[in-house]
Amino acid sequence: MSTDAPPESTTQRRADTGSARRARDSQNGQSKRESRQNQLRPGDGPMVVFDDVTKQYGSDAVAIRDLSLSIESGEFVFLVGPSGSGKSTFIKLLIKEVSPSKGGLWVGGRDLNRMRRSKVPYLRRAIGCVFQDYKLLTSRTVFENVAYALQVTGESPSSIRRKVPEMLSLVGLSEKGSRYPGELSGGEQQRVSIARAFVNQPRLLIADEPTGNLDPETSIGIMQLLYRINRTGTTVIMATHDRELVDKMQMRVIELGDGVLVRDARNARYGRPQRAVPTGDEAGSAEDAS
Amino acid sequence: MRPRFFLAEAVRSIRSNMALALAATVTVLIAIFVLGAFIPSFLYVQSAVDRQKEKIDVSVYISDSAEVDQVNALQAQISGLEEQGVVREFTYVSKDDALAAMRERLDDPTILEELPSNPFPASFEVKLTDPENADEVIVAVEEQPALDPDEGIGFAGDTADRLLSVAQFIQWSGLALILILTVAAVLLIGNTIRLSIFARRREVEVMKLVGATNWFIRWPFVIEGIICGLVGALLSVGLLLAVKLAVVDRLVDDASSQLTEEQTTSIGFVTLAVILLAAGAALGALGSGLTLRRFLRV
Ligand SMILES: Nc1ncnc2c1ncn2[C@@H]1O[C@H](COP(=O)(O)OP(=O)(O)OP(=O)(O)O)[C@@H](O)[C@H]1O
Ligand SMILES: [Mg+2]
Repeated sequence: MSTDAPPESTTQRRADTGSARRARDSQNGQSKRESRQNQLRPGDGPMVVFDDVTKQYGSDAVAIRDLSLSIESGEFVFLVGPSGSGKSTFIKLLIKEVSPSKGGLWVGGRDLNRMRRSKVPYLRRAIGCVFQDYKLLTSRTVFENVAYALQVTGESPSSIRRKVPEMLSLVGLSEKGSRYPGELSGGEQQRVSIARAFVNQPRLLIADEPTGNLDPETSIGIMQLLYRINRTGTTVIMATHDRELVDKMQMRVIELGDGVLVRDARNARYGRPQRAVPTGDEAGSAEDAS
Repeated sequence: MRPRFFLAEAVRSIRSNMALALAATVTVLIAIFVLGAFIPSFLYVQSAVDRQKEKIDVSVYISDSAEVDQVNALQAQISGLEEQGVVREFTYVSKDDALAAMRERLDDPTILEELPSNPFPASFEVKLTDPENADEVIVAVEEQPALDPDEGIGFAGDTADRLLSVAQFIQWSGLALILILTVAAVLLIGNTIRLSIFARRREVEVMKLVGATNWFIRWPFVIEGIICGLVGALLSVGLLLAVKLAVVDRLVDDASSQLTEEQTTSIGFVTLAVILLAAGAALGALGSGLTLRRFLRV
C-alpha cells in the first residue's frame, strides 16, 4: 500500500503536478494484481467492439439493432441521436448492465458474453461511467459518493482523503463535499457523478449526457475536462444532445436512429452534413462503419 | 482496514434504518427469550425423566418356604443376566430388611408391632440397565421355584411404559419446537433485513453499477444482522436473568426443601447465556445472509 512509502517520497509527491501524480499513483498505489484487475488492457486491439449486436427489451422493444462498430483505444467519440434512439442502451451494454440479445461485444479485449458474473464488478471499476440519471447514493454525502468508487477497489483511507478533494475541486464542488445529493441542484449532482466516474482514472470513460443539466459555461468546463482526460490516453465515449458542443469539438460522431447506426464519421458535426456541402469525411466514415 | 470499513458501514446502515434494526432486534429478543426459557426447562424435564427411569426396578419376591439351593439358583439366574448386561446391579433384601424398610416408610410404625409375624417376603431388588429390559428379566425368573407364589414379580409395567412414552414425546416435541423456533426466527429476521434492503434497493443497484462486488455489499448487511442478533440476545439474556432471580430461584428454593433427594440437574446460567448470544449472532448472520442471496442477483 502507498501508506508505507518513505516520507521523502511523500514530500516529493506533493511537489509534483496533479496529473503526473495521478499517473504514478495508479501504478504504485495499488498492488500489481489489483491494478491488472481494475484496468482495461486492450493491448493493441480496439477498446470497444460491437459485432452485429442487437438488444431487445422484452418481446417487442428493440433498442439496438444489428450494430457493428469499433472504437480504438484513446479515441474521443460522441454518441448522438434523437431521444429513444438507443444511446443509453449502448452505454448499458458496455458496463454489462444489460446483455446483448444477439451478437458479440468486447470491451478492453474482454468478451462480455463470456464474462462470468463475478468478474463484472472489475469491468465496472475499470470503466468510469457518468449516468444520465446520476445514480448517486442518496444517503451519502458528496464526498462519500466519490469515495465509494475508491472504496470498492480497496483503496486506503489516506489515499481516499487525498484523491477525493482533488477530484471535487476539479468539478468545482470543493465547498459542497458534506452536502447530500438531495441538497444539490441537478447540475451539481451531475458533476458529483462525473467526479465519481473520473476518480479511479479509468482507461475508458463513458458519459451519458454529462452536460445535460449544465449551463453553457459549466458545460464547456466539463467538456474541457473530458478533452484533457482524453489527451492523457483515456478513451472517452460521450452521449449528448448538445449540438453546439459536438460541432465545436469536431470529433468522431456515431449517430443512432431507432437503434440502427445511421452515421459514423470522423471530425464531424452533430447533424448530417448538408447535401450541398459534401465532405471527404463522409467517404471515410463509410469505411469506419464496415 | 476492511473490517473497520464494513463495521462503519453496518453502523451507518443501522442508524439510517433505526426502525427496521429495532424490529429485527425485538424479533431476536423474543425468539432467544423463548429458546432461553425452553432449553433449561427441557433439560430439567429430561433429567427428571432419567431419574424416574432409574427408579424402575424389578422386585423378585422369594417364597418364605423356598429352599436355600432354590434361592441360590434364582440368584445365579439373575447374576447371569447381570453378566449379559441386562441387569445393572441387584441386591438381596431379607425379610427383616423389608420390615425395617416398611417401618421407615410409615408415619405410624406402631401398627407393625401388632402383626403376629413378619409378612414381608425377602426379595432380590434388581436394577435394570435399561427399563426396556424388564420383560427379559421377568421371563427369565418366572419359572424359578423360589419365586413367591403370591407376590411373584413386582414391576410397575404400565407406569414404566407410560413414563417411557412420555419421555420420548417430550424429547421429540422439544426438538421439533426448537427447530420451528429457529426457522421462524431466521425467517423473521430475514424478512426484516429484506425490508431494509428493499428500502435500499436503489442504493444496492448503484453500488453494483460502480463496481462493488457482492461481498462488498453483503458484509455490512451481515454485520448489521449480527449486531441486531447480539443486542437482541443480550437483552433477552438480561430478561431471563431477571425472571430466573425473581421467579425460578424462589420456586426451586421452596421445592428443594421438599424434594431433597430429587436433585435434578439443568444448565448453568453462564453456559446458557453464552449459547444464547452465539445463537442470536448466528440467527442475525443467517437471516441477513440468506436473504441477500436472492437480492444481489442484479
Ligand atoms: N428497460 C427497458 N425496457 C423496455 N424498453 C426499454 C428499456 N430501456 C429502454 N427501452 C427502450 O429502448 C429504446 C432506447 O432507449 P434508450 O434509453 O437507449 O434511449 P436514449 O437514446 O438513451 O434516449 P434519451 O436520449 O432520451 O436518453 C427506447 O425506445 C426505450 O423505450
Ligand atoms: Mg439516454
